[in-house]
Amino acid sequence: MDTLVNVAHGFGVALLPVNLLYCFIGVFIGTLVGVLPGIGPISAMSLLLPVTLSGTPESGIIMMAGIYYGSMYGGSTTSILVNIPGEAASVVTCIDGHQMAKQGRAGPALGIAAFGSFAAGTFALVALMLVAPKLASLAIAFGPAEYFSLMVLGLVVLTFLTQGSMPKALLMACIGVVLGLIGLDSITAQPRLTFGRMELIDGIGLVPVVMGLFGVAEVLLNTEQAIKRDVINTRITHLLPSKEDWKASAGPVGRGTILGFFLGILPGGGAVVSSFASYALEKRLSKTPERFGHGAIEGVAGPESANNAAAGGAFIPLMTLGIPPNVVMALLLGAFVIHGLQPGPLMITQNPGLFWGIVASMYIGNVMLLILNLPMIGMWVQLLKLPYNILFPLIILFTILGVYCSSNNVFDVYVMIAFGIIGYFMRKLGYEPAPLVLAFVLGPMMENNLRKSLILSQGDLWTFVQRPISAVCLVFALVLLIAPLLPSLRKKRELVALDEGA
Amino acid sequence: MNDPTNVKLRLSNSELWGGLIGLALGGFVIWSGLKLRLGTINDPGSGYVLFYTGILMCVFASAIIVSAITEGGPTLASRWENVRWSKPLVLIACLTAFAFALEPLGFLLSSIPLMLLLLRLIDPVRWTLAIPIAVLVPSGMWWVLKRLLLIQLPSGLFGIG
Repeated sequence: MDTLVNVAHGFGVALLPVNLLYCFIGVFIGTLVGVLPGIGPISAMSLLLPVTLSGTPESGIIMMAGIYYGSMYGGSTTSILVNIPGEAASVVTCIDGHQMAKQGRAGPALGIAAFGSFAAGTFALVALMLVAPKLASLAIAFGPAEYFSLMVLGLVVLTFLTQGSMPKALLMACIGVVLGLIGLDSITAQPRLTFGRMELIDGIGLVPVVMGLFGVAEVLLNTEQAIKRDVINTRITHLLPSKEDWKASAGPVGRGTILGFFLGILPGGGAVVSSFASYALEKRLSKTPERFGHGAIEGVAGPESANNAAAGGAFIPLMTLGIPPNVVMALLLGAFVIHGLQPGPLMITQNPGLFWGIVASMYIGNVMLLILNLPMIGMWVQLLKLPYNILFPLIILFTILGVYCSSNNVFDVYVMIAFGIIGYFMRKLGYEPAPLVLAFVLGPMMENNLRKSLILSQGDLWTFVQRPISAVCLVFALVLLIAPLLPSLRKKRELVALDEGA
Repeated sequence: MNDPTNVKLRLSNSELWGGLIGLALGGFVIWSGLKLRLGTINDPGSGYVLFYTGILMCVFASAIIVSAITEGGPTLASRWENVRWSKPLVLIACLTAFAFALEPLGFLLSSIPLMLLLLRLIDPVRWTLAIPIAVLVPSGMWWVLKRLLLIQLPSGLFGIG
């Protein structure tokens, strides 16, 4: 009953005209960046992070969340019609989605992607409503040792799932922690790594770092190659899947939804892993696995449902524990912090309007996405024809303005350009930026919790092992650190490794 | 058959360079941690986490170096093979020039040439389209930010913008 009252309160907040507008802007921009190859949800969210300052916390965070799940919807359009994933979570959709489009079945492929995403998004939200308050009440018992171990686990899972060698990903995570510690020490107020520059006393901002590493570096990489687009030119009809299509897709949608939701909750996981896992599961369960790769609708329905369910599930650790499970959630945490809010176990009780408002807006956003994606498919196809040589200078200008407006400080523009160049060379040498960014956000929190737990336990390191939750997290992290040393597990890791931008 | 793009103990091994840079950074972080005061395990100081993170960085960088020497790694040149490497270089030069020009020239006088250069130098857009975009987009953004949102953009020595 309490949940229903809270949900009603949430809808009261989400249905305010200003919040509806922000929700629409969020899902529209999300679909747009999902559709356009070369810009992912991370770049778009980092670009719009400063915009959240202009409204209430609810409006800003509703918009940011809309961009995330909107991009999950939009990504499928590019995968199906152009065979280029609009964002990392739609890589798998290319395999069967584009084959379906080539066979003249682009309509059902787009339709099932949208309906599957809607069903998965709805399930994820209902589960979020039921699970989050319970987990939050449990999380109140968490001490600094548990928080520290959970963050270590999150970072290790992300480095485990990052493409390329694990030492490289771990090195990136360490650099992220160091960058996060620049500025005044939160306990002793001693300046660290500031090199005498006043601009660094408050530390490096999240916005210039993320915009540089993901926005500018992405553009630099894209200019290396002329992007060729093989847009399906035939008229897209029959968006509603047939009876047979529904029959074939019902199972994959259901399984993808549940799998995606649980993988989304896990720290370091998220939409990309869940879409790959769902595809592998459907292929394994299929009586005719040879159809996969040649236009099997199950290969679209499962992964598309899984990545949307994961996008919903990823909100759970952020909202209940205050720990972002992936880079996108780290950006959302940044939006909370900009408004002086700290997501965590107390947020649901202390700020119910915000929590339930965001949850309710996500449902409204899902409905908006269904309306945006199906009848307006023609408009998105036209957008795919926008030349990249006009698009990328605009992205550069928007990143510069976005960074400048977030702090009114030219120094941040320099930081962004520097991180853009560093990010480009990092990617060229096979170093992924995702662990760096997550560690950059988690670094100060990890340090704080580590020092607090050491002070409280009077320097007893066993405190991390004696507490069951902390011990489980550390054991799991240790297993993941050792796993790549075993050849059979190394192969498995390479199979599930995710591309940047997760 | 030997792959000429994969080398072991050679200066052109890109993995080796990545590891060496990581090792140098790790060393610097350890030194910074020591300089900031380590404290004790009962009362960790400001440099405590930095110091141990630096050690971890050195460990991971060493693992990269060992792997680069034993298993080999792609050459630096092969990382830029079959790509238009000059294009990002031009873009980096434009962005660096923009960074230096932003404060003295102001937003408008620095962003209009930046846009024009980006539109013409990477994948050239025809002049009749490039000039209007380069002028109208920054001006439009400037107008929205300065006049509507009242955000102060750098106006430079000439006070334009």
